Amino acid sequence: MKTIPPTDTTPVTGRHYWRGLDQLADTPEFKTFLEREFPANASELTDPVSRRHFVKIMSASFALAGIGLGATGCRRPEDKLLPFGKAAEGFIHGTSQFFATAMPTRGGAIPLVAKSYEGRPIKVEGNSLFPGGNGGTDRFAQASILNLYDPDRATRFAKGAGKDRASITSGEALEALAGIANKFAGNQGAGLALLGERTNSPSRRRLHQEIAKKLPQAKWYLYDAIDSEIHQRVATKAFGKSVKPLFRYDVADTILALDCDFIGGEEDAHNSIRQFTGKRKIEKPEDGLNRLYAVESLFTLTGVNADHRLRVAASAVVQVAAAIAAELGVNVGTLVSSSKVELDKKWIAECAKDLKATGGKSLVVAGVRQPMAVHLIVAAINEKLGNIGKTVELVEAPAAISAGISELAESLNKGEVDTLVITGANPVYNAPADLNWTATQRKAKTVVRLGYYEDETGAASDWHIPLAHYLESWNDGRTSDGTLVPVQPLIAPLFGGLSDLEFMARLAGLTETNPNKIVRATFAAMTGDSSEAAWNKFLHDGFAAGTAMKKTSASWSSSSLNEALAAPTVTATSKDNLEVVLYRDMKLDDGRYANNGWLQELPDPITKIVWDNAVLVSRKTAKALGVENGDVVELSVGGKTIKGAIWTQPGMADFSLGIALGYGREQVGRVGVGTGFSAYPLYSTKTGYIVSGVSLKKVGGEKYPISCTQTHWSMEGRAIVREANLQQFKDHPDFADKMNAAVPPRPEGTTGEWPKPIYPNPLDEAKKKAHHQWGMAIDLNGCVGCGTCVVACQSENNIPIVGKDLVARGREMHWLRIDRYYSADPKKRAWNSTFKKEEDQQFDEWIDDVQAVNQPMLCQHCEAAPCESVCPVNATVHDQEGLNVMAYNRCVGTRYCSNNCPYKVRRFNYLDFNKRSLKELKGPFYPTTLLHSTEGEWDLSRWWKDQNAGMRQDDEWDLIRMLKNPDVTVRMRGVMEKCTFCIQRIEGAKIAQKVKAGESGDVVVPDGTIKTACEQACPAGAIVFGNIADENSRVAKLKERQRNYSVLDFLETKPRTTYLAKVRNPNPAMPDYADPFTFEEFEKQNGNPFGGHGHGESAPAHAEPAHAGEKGAH
Amino acid sequence: MSAIFPKWTNKLPLMVAIGGLLTAGAVTAGVWYYFTPKYFRVGYQPIQPVAFSHATHAGQLGVDCRYCHSMVEKSWFSNIPSSSTCMNCHNQVLKDDPRLALVRESAASGKPIPWVQIHRVPDFVYFNHSVHVNRGISCVECHGRIDQMEEVYHAKPLSMSFCLDCHNNPAAKVRPADKITDLGWTPSEDPNVAAQKQATFGKKFVHDFRVESLNNCSACHR
Repeated sequence: MKTIPPTDTTPVTGRHYWRGLDQLADTPEFKTFLEREFPANASELTDPVSRRHFVKIMSASFALAGIGLGATGCRRPEDKLLPFGKAAEGFIHGTSQFFATAMPTRGGAIPLVAKSYEGRPIKVEGNSLFPGGNGGTDRFAQASILNLYDPDRATRFAKGAGKDRASITSGEALEALAGIANKFAGNQGAGLALLGERTNSPSRRRLHQEIAKKLPQAKWYLYDAIDSEIHQRVATKAFGKSVKPLFRYDVADTILALDCDFIGGEEDAHNSIRQFTGKRKIEKPEDGLNRLYAVESLFTLTGVNADHRLRVAASAVVQVAAAIAAELGVNVGTLVSSSKVELDKKWIAECAKDLKATGGKSLVVAGVRQPMAVHLIVAAINEKLGNIGKTVELVEAPAAISAGISELAESLNKGEVDTLVITGANPVYNAPADLNWTATQRKAKTVVRLGYYEDETGAASDWHIPLAHYLESWNDGRTSDGTLVPVQPLIAPLFGGLSDLEFMARLAGLTETNPNKIVRATFAAMTGDSSEAAWNKFLHDGFAAGTAMKKTSASWSSSSLNEALAAPTVTATSKDNLEVVLYRDMKLDDGRYANNGWLQELPDPITKIVWDNAVLVSRKTAKALGVENGDVVELSVGGKTIKGAIWTQPGMADFSLGIALGYGREQVGRVGVGTGFSAYPLYSTKTGYIVSGVSLKKVGGEKYPISCTQTHWSMEGRAIVREANLQQFKDHPDFADKMNAAVPPRPEGTTGEWPKPIYPNPLDEAKKKAHHQWGMAIDLNGCVGCGTCVVACQSENNIPIVGKDLVARGREMHWLRIDRYYSADPKKRAWNSTFKKEEDQQFDEWIDDVQAVNQPMLCQHCEAAPCESVCPVNATVHDQEGLNVMAYNRCVGTRYCSNNCPYKVRRFNYLDFNKRSLKELKGPFYPTTLLHSTEGEWDLSRWWKDQNAGMRQDDEWDLIRMLKNPDVTVRMRGVMEKCTFCIQRIEGAKIAQKVKAGESGDVVVPDGTIKTACEQACPAGAIVFGNIADENSRVAKLKERQRNYSVLDFLETKPRTTYLAKVRNPNPAMPDYADPFTFEEFEKQNGNPFGGHGHGESAPAHAEPAHAGEKGAH
Repeated sequence: MSAIFPKWTNKLPLMVAIGGLLTAGAVTAGVWYYFTPKYFRVGYQPIQPVAFSHATHAGQLGVDCRYCHSMVEKSWFSNIPSSSTCMNCHNQVLKDDPRLALVRESAASGKPIPWVQIHRVPDFVYFNHSVHVNRGISCVECHGRIDQMEEVYHAKPLSMSFCLDCHNNPAAKVRPADKITDLGWTPSEDPNVAAQKQATFGKKFVHDFRVESLNNCSACHR
């Protein structure tokens, strides 16, 4: 770094600079030398002796300086080792500890095991001890750990709204809370209103009851922008008592999802995924599959995984529900006869027939965004099918607080609220637009906010109190089935935040404010056991067995259907009657994860868009409206207008627009602000999530850049993902092998291995000696594409985020990505006629009705690895256990390996991403730094002035690096990296096994000990890793299955990661029955893999109107 | 002209070139050989805040290494003992000795003693103590005769080639589990017999306990 010499006359306190060692020593020689060099004595320069003397001294001092450098300067800096003064009991320095805890969600809790390294939580995993669980989690749980170390989270207590805001101490804030408690103690809480978010915490419920006793006049309200409680409300209404339905996807053989994205956007999706895929990961064709019908307007993960998909406008789903009900003999009045929506009658009739045939083992579900009417019809259908008590279990559930934000707004408008206390919720951002919340909230005299961020609501409050992260606070929760789980802290609040239990207890002036004691009292009350042993077991196991909600039976009240029958008639969507579907974002939820960089950069499972939401439209809609990808449009309805950017999404219902909620945050942090557009202005209490009668206007010529990680949509008929129908699988159990490329004939006179790998296989010798050979199998029938593994990998392996701009340049760093391919009926697709550029795909007609497949793609750990042959410095090589390893220190960044990788799984650190400032993440988009200027100054000159301007501040780095996994190198700029099969876990397990073995030969790690991060997080259990040298290992057995295949088999790279081909289970009686489209595309390109004449050998002949059903209703 | 440039000067460019090459070669070889941990690290002996003598404790008194470095068999890191460990004995022995003032203060206050780190592998090396000491590798192989050191110094280079010497041929270094912390142990007093015994023992150990010659990158770098 360049240092400017000090010009002031104050004594130098920093570094000294000297011209030679003699100056430092102040020797007479040096003084003489200085004198002689002085211009006044210039005549001396003619003196040959002194000139020689000068050279002598200079060379001597240089030589001395050289030795000095070698002797002192090159020594590594002195480091201190600081052991404990007093030994901490049971603490082993350098090993991780694991604690059971849980992450509270809206309707439940996810039981977790959190890994703590020297007191810092660094990773969360699902609790595999939990009954029925498999240790899988969801995206949000995996990413939640990043929120803990978010530099932008609320770090202070503050007072005053807007400009008057000032930091206060926690003592002052607690005093203020005590003041509120005193104030309302006198009048029983009249004028006190509390607004919270939904949780399933029994402690909070208990506190609530205690507070209600103490302050009976205080009012409670709950608000969540995503109303997941509708299922309970419907069941309560339909069955006449307070019950909650549990949908048993593991029991159901036939499932009909009516706009219900139970695999993606619904609450508790990770459990649904586990249950649903349990019946799909089949071994033999005889095992049979469940069958999923999806009726939806958006293309969701449920639609992707469905065997039959009907795309209809979201508002027309009620008509589909009614038609199915009518087919099954439910009296739906005039709902069907008065319908103005055109539906595929054959599709509905056959679907109903299938449901009926599997009555008692069928299941119909409706999504949270659908209105009450649809849910009530669905309850009637399930009753008719005899599913109640079988696939729809009813459990006793305590009645929820029914008062919501509308009631609170009413109360505020009447001036009844003196003090409004908001715990967690962010209504200023996400309240229904018709409540005009920002103004309404100000009608309370005092607004107190407990919030994780100083966000939109925080800024509009008089008191702001930081909320503790769930890993910093005591709490409890009940999972979706009601089992009690503890939320125990792993670290003291980093910034002194309060848990919501403590906050509420203090606010109400309860005597017990210690959240630990509150939770413990609840536990004792619920289990009837207050012993220390029971409590310790509860904390150790992470759940209290036997606390699940009791199953109950209830009789369906037919009168509940009357409300549904009175539903207003639906008009078909059209160019002039657009509908907008507002949906829970797959990454940011309702906006609460907006400042989480991992989730922002996680590609949306369907669109693969990062850092943004978009106005999703079908091709036909885009054409009718004259818009294309990236066009900025204005959507207005009822005087409210939002902006958004158009994105053509294959498989969308026509004239139905989808917009994800949760973006366009104005105040949350440096990551979240300025991503996407907020859709909440369209959300109102009257219309709910499906807004009809929307008009769209193009904003003249404006384009909005959208970053997308997968720009090409089709596999173009190649056998990358292999698929077959169940019938084909029955006829050709080896169909996956049959789709291998033909082996070229052996040249005459050759012997040995054939086909011969292009690349050398250094492993052939080494693998004979090693104890393990690692391999992975991924069941494509299990993978639903939810993306949990991507975040888990990011968390485990210290993978940085790069920001929107760099993703657009293809520089995202995810070691594991999920490829999503669309396929269409080849009859509708003109093959090979013209080459289509990627940006022109949106105009292709074939994208109207598509099937989609997902494929997790990570380093395949090829035995004959193409990357290794081209590395000039041997930075990527094989180890004896079959891992393709990266020696980061050797890597010089030529990127040859990445160029030669056929799977494109290598990632290069173009910049020092870990140290990069958060400001740099979102753009701006510019072609080169040479021409760009920021804040009126050239970037180059900014860099010249301060080379660290783009880097994280030290305090920020200190916080964020607490999160890093100490077992994984944090890579810097110029280094290539890729999936390592979680080598830190492999080596950790091997070392543990060897330590255990000691003086014995028991060094082989037992199967199942090592789980890679992706495997452990996968809610479907689709990824299995293990030792393939052990033929009894799970992975070896999976690789024996007939569905097993290698991607790009013809390259003979011999990947260690193999895939199990996907099997769909469509209903032959359905009008849209067909071979999987990817299979048909393959056949068109490569001929029938089974030989014979054309296809149809196994499948029934295609009726001409096939696929007519998917044209949808419009 | 020949008077100005004698004939031998015709060879001057060649001589300069050869001389240059030789010099460059010598410099390269010198740096290659001498600028290594073997020369720069070995012998590093900082002054510690407490004049703790391993020679007295481990050598003379025969305290086992694992009495203080108690986690070495369980963790990747061999812990520096907490001050309270010292006080286990020193609240009886030499309890008022001025040399132990810092230890007593630290044990009372909980404030750590700032020991100066001597042995250190780079951050990109994931060295694990537990797997070595549990599988027949003695402390002495990397740390030298600590039991004879008044003030601990860096005895071995701990360079990559140092690690690989042993990883390539573990049989030469393995010893019985009960001799791991016996730093002066040899299979026999007689060097010739010792070498023979070590060869037999090592071969059997490596075979029976399935010790691998782990010389792949992944063994140490992640």
